[in-house]
Amino acid sequence: MSIVQNFPFFSIILAMFSGIVSSVLSGKKARNLSIAMILAVFVLSLSTLAFCWGTGESYTYWMGHFPAPWGNEIRAGILEGVTASLFSLVMVLSVIGGMGHTEQDVEASKQNLFYIMVDLMLSSLLALIYTNDLFTAYVFVEINTIAGCGMIMIRQKGRSLSSAIRYMILSQLGSGLFLIGLSLLYGVTGHLLMSPAKEAVTAIEAAGAYQIPMLMIVAVISVGLAIKSGLYPFHYWIPDTYGYATPTASAILSGLVSKGYIFLLIKIFYRVLGQEHVIASQIVNVLFVFGLAGMVMGSVHAILQRDLRRMIAYSSVAQIGYIYMGIGLGTQAGMVAAVFHVFTHSITKALLFISAVGLYEASGDRKDYHSLRGSGYRARLAGIGFSVGALSMVGFPMLSGFISKLLFASSALQTPGKRLPTLIALAVSTVLNAVYFLRMVITIYSIPGKRTVKTGQTGADAADGTERQNAASDSGSTAGSRVRSTWNLRLAVLCLILLNLALGMFSQPVVRALEAGLEMFA
Amino acid sequence: MTDTGTLIRLMLPVAVPIAAGIVFLTGKRLRTDRKASAAALLAALGLELALVLGACASGGAAVLWQLTDTLVLALRVDGVGRLFSLLTASVWLLVGLYSVSYMAHDQRSSQFFGWYLIVEGVLIGLDFSGNLVTMYVFYELMTLTSLPLVLHERTHEAVMAGLKYLFYSVAGAFLALFGIFFLAGTAGDLTFVPGGMSALESTLGSTLGSGAEGGLMRAAVFCMLIGFGAKAGMFPLHGWLPTAHPAAPSPASAVLSGVITKSGVLAVIRVIYFVVGPEMIRGTWVQQAWICLTLLTVFLGSMMAYKEPVLKKRLAYSTVSQVSYILFGLSLLEPTAFVGALSHIVFHSLIKNVLFLSAGAVILITGWKRVEEMRGLGSIMPAMLGCYTLVSLGLVGIPPFSGFVSKWYLASGALASGTGVWEAAGPAVLLVSALLTAGYLLPLAIQGFLPGAGSVREYQAADPDEGELAEAGQSWQCREPSAWMLVPAGIMTAATLAFGLFPGPLVRFLTEIAQAVL
Amino acid sequence: MAQALLTNLHETAAVVLFGVGFTVLLLHRNLIKKIMGMNIMDTAVYLFLAAKGYINGRMVPIMTDGILDADAYINPVPSGLVLTGIVVSVSTTALMLALTIRLYERYGSLDLDEILMRLKEEEPS
Repeated sequence: MSIVQNFPFFSIILAMFSGIVSSVLSGKKARNLSIAMILAVFVLSLSTLAFCWGTGESYTYWMGHFPAPWGNEIRAGILEGVTASLFSLVMVLSVIGGMGHTEQDVEASKQNLFYIMVDLMLSSLLALIYTNDLFTAYVFVEINTIAGCGMIMIRQKGRSLSSAIRYMILSQLGSGLFLIGLSLLYGVTGHLLMSPAKEAVTAIEAAGAYQIPMLMIVAVISVGLAIKSGLYPFHYWIPDTYGYATPTASAILSGLVSKGYIFLLIKIFYRVLGQEHVIASQIVNVLFVFGLAGMVMGSVHAILQRDLRRMIAYSSVAQIGYIYMGIGLGTQAGMVAAVFHVFTHSITKALLFISAVGLYEASGDRKDYHSLRGSGYRARLAGIGFSVGALSMVGFPMLSGFISKLLFASSALQTPGKRLPTLIALAVSTVLNAVYFLRMVITIYSIPGKRTVKTGQTGADAADGTERQNAASDSGSTAGSRVRSTWNLRLAVLCLILLNLALGMFSQPVVRALEAGLEMFA
Repeated sequence: MTDTGTLIRLMLPVAVPIAAGIVFLTGKRLRTDRKASAAALLAALGLELALVLGACASGGAAVLWQLTDTLVLALRVDGVGRLFSLLTASVWLLVGLYSVSYMAHDQRSSQFFGWYLIVEGVLIGLDFSGNLVTMYVFYELMTLTSLPLVLHERTHEAVMAGLKYLFYSVAGAFLALFGIFFLAGTAGDLTFVPGGMSALESTLGSTLGSGAEGGLMRAAVFCMLIGFGAKAGMFPLHGWLPTAHPAAPSPASAVLSGVITKSGVLAVIRVIYFVVGPEMIRGTWVQQAWICLTLLTVFLGSMMAYKEPVLKKRLAYSTVSQVSYILFGLSLLEPTAFVGALSHIVFHSLIKNVLFLSAGAVILITGWKRVEEMRGLGSIMPAMLGCYTLVSLGLVGIPPFSGFVSKWYLASGALASGTGVWEAAGPAVLLVSALLTAGYLLPLAIQGFLPGAGSVREYQAADPDEGELAEAGQSWQCREPSAWMLVPAGIMTAATLAFGLFPGPLVRFLTEIAQAVL
Repeated sequence: MAQALLTNLHETAAVVLFGVGFTVLLLHRNLIKKIMGMNIMDTAVYLFLAAKGYINGRMVPIMTDGILDADAYINPVPSGLVLTGIVVSVSTTALMLALTIRLYERYGSLDLDEILMRLKEEEPS
């Protein structure tokens, strides 16, 4: 048993303890501890990934003295390793990118509370990724919810509070359903640990017993987790929540939180219920249909938005629809496409939210379209980051979004029945995505006003040389001059852009890792 | 694997203009020093032409990047690629010469030149693409990089036009992407093979075109036709052309109409003749619908051009119409028509460039934008107007100009194509359109040289404050555009005449290509 | 079918209560009632779990006469699950109550629809 095998456990514990320790630290120290810890978790996850890749199989790890099926277990494999590494990387970049705003938006005495929430969030995400036990999953789902709620309401403004309560209400609905599904499953199989539960389920299926309970279990668990991850039509909390939280919180919530639940759902499908049984129960078709609806309706709503962050939030609804569509295809290829899109979306959404911060910092902190005109010239890197993120969402080649769409399309082609709706929905939603994203990109790079701009607005450049001319003609609305974003924002944006490009250009190793990971996932 | 030498030789024509363009966009010195920027631009364009010539001469194929297990980005030089890339590089150089003078008063000319160069690089990449995915990548890049050219003036109309261009192009590209995904899923390798999959089919004996699969495949191909046709201005996604081309500065309008629309045509050629194969759609509803749409566009474009008072917009509608001549020729799936179509690509490109260059000269010097205002140009700029008149005759299809050759091939191809009613309807529409073409192009020339009774002084400009003439305080003296502008127009006019008199070599070259694919 | 429902009375009641709690959480406008509904929903699940643990005719799992065969005892695991669940439920209830207090302080109302309406009138932060 090599030391690397302890790493999943270490990462969960490390995250949790940082949270606890942060309660006695001041704001800045809590933040630094948080960043250091997330980086450490990233390294640990990479080592786990390397280990599993090397051995070519996943391993289980006892939590406590008792072996399966009586004790608790976590399980680590390639898929878990990749996901944990990516999530921790996106989280640390989100924290770094939003550092400045976190300081501004949150009261000084509550700064460390925010970072406690971040740490707890990471620990619960890791636990959801690695756990092999259903009830542990439930507990960490709840911790995830509470940490998320904490992150939302830290701003103490009216909008945040109301969005927090709506988030909690919908989340609790989902958790309640999940819990009763769990209890039913326990009642029917007698196991809480996933692998023994699967054996029991297989035996039940073979005997043809408990048909209605099994159907209920599949339905209730899927719907519960779907509600929590924001599948249409249970998405009402998303725009308010993502739109009015601090940038770090928005990036983490949209990029990671929903994905944790989706990962858990996939895990339950593979490791407890068995893919064939899930497909037979038709629940995948329900998820598929809602996924398609989300893809289209999310984009339609996004087009109607006036506020930049709400627009990005609605696009999250659409992207989660994509993921559920992939799951709903019911094939291995569809699942690979869905998981790949989870990664793409995490990176790109974080990039969009953090760049949006840069853009509206340069526009007098206003988020509506009119104020944002020309902000791409005032905050260069943020503008480029936003454009890259937008193009990736639209599906521009060489970026990761294109590979996602390619994977979705090729997996759809292998499923005769669902082929046409998928391709049509892909095409329609891409065009809709293009409408609002590209409109935004043009807005941030456009200059308001007519030809008179050329003669110069400040008056000084008529006399000056052409050098001044360019600077003056770049001046947009209120802010006027170039704003240099803080170093942390630029670092985060740059890293996320590179990550997106890397995923887009070197997707093959990742896809192969995902396929191998899903093989050993069951 | 790929020989590095070939890779470099094929990459250079793509990469050099892009790099040069980036230098123009970011370099500070080039913004201020006009002479330096002009020299740099022409040097870059000249170098590019040489590189393209070199690549075309040597040929070969190279793999750029392994995108996924099944998809690669690859470049390859073949007959069609040679045709398009040589056309692009030569036109770019000539219009570049023109733009040096045209943009002389523009403060942000270095930005224009920068994007101008980048678009050239992307277009060469498009022309040299070896498979459908590579072509799609460069196609999307082309939309994005040509957008700043449309937006250059930064007026409200320019922004609106740019948005319209963007949305239509993106909608078209994604419609086409739907088809590409489908083909990638069912056909696998998307490398361009002359004759396409139907050629392979006969050797492999597969049944790709039949049954429900076949129906879906045909629908996908139709989507790709509509999607790529958007860039080429084919109905129903043609709406952006008449708005975008006039809103851009004249050199940009020239290359937009003259060359960039042809990239849509290139995409269609690649899809129909090199990926799917003409046999797949011959005689099916796809071909019928395609022929119908192209003829509709030909007629509609000419009608709208005839009625349009603003000159640049009139020329834009003319592009809509003329490019559909080309698409009509392609839709017939017949060798003679194919030759006619490809030759019209070259001829229309040259002619349209001259038309836009002269329109630009008129606007620059007199400030007139509407055709009815443009009287007596013959005494102001006789040489430019002469070029305009000669190429107009070419576009109408009067021998000995080149337009006659292409229309002759198109018509005879139509008669030989075996497509039923279109055999007769096609040439009829072409004839009507030719009459309309004469109707919308020639009045300007006639008004210019024979302004009618009364002294020229009576016809004052509508905006006396605009234009170089008004600035200089001179009224109606001979004010020919500068040599920078005149020489390229003259060269292209001469080429039009030359191709008309000696079409042989070009026709032979094109017939070779036709035989390979049909 | 009715026989089965009666035999498993506790489970039946639990599911009915779950439905009640779920509906209250979803549909009621008053925040306190929503929280109550959430508690009813969670408690229903605990009832379900506890009922699943009980096996008719068996003993509590405490050794009195030495270790008997496993068949003699009821299943002790669900009670552990219930305890965990109660802890989770208490935490979320506390959080939601805190939020409700904040919202009441700010908007003077416990009615969610009214709060949302007042929010729309305020400018978004």
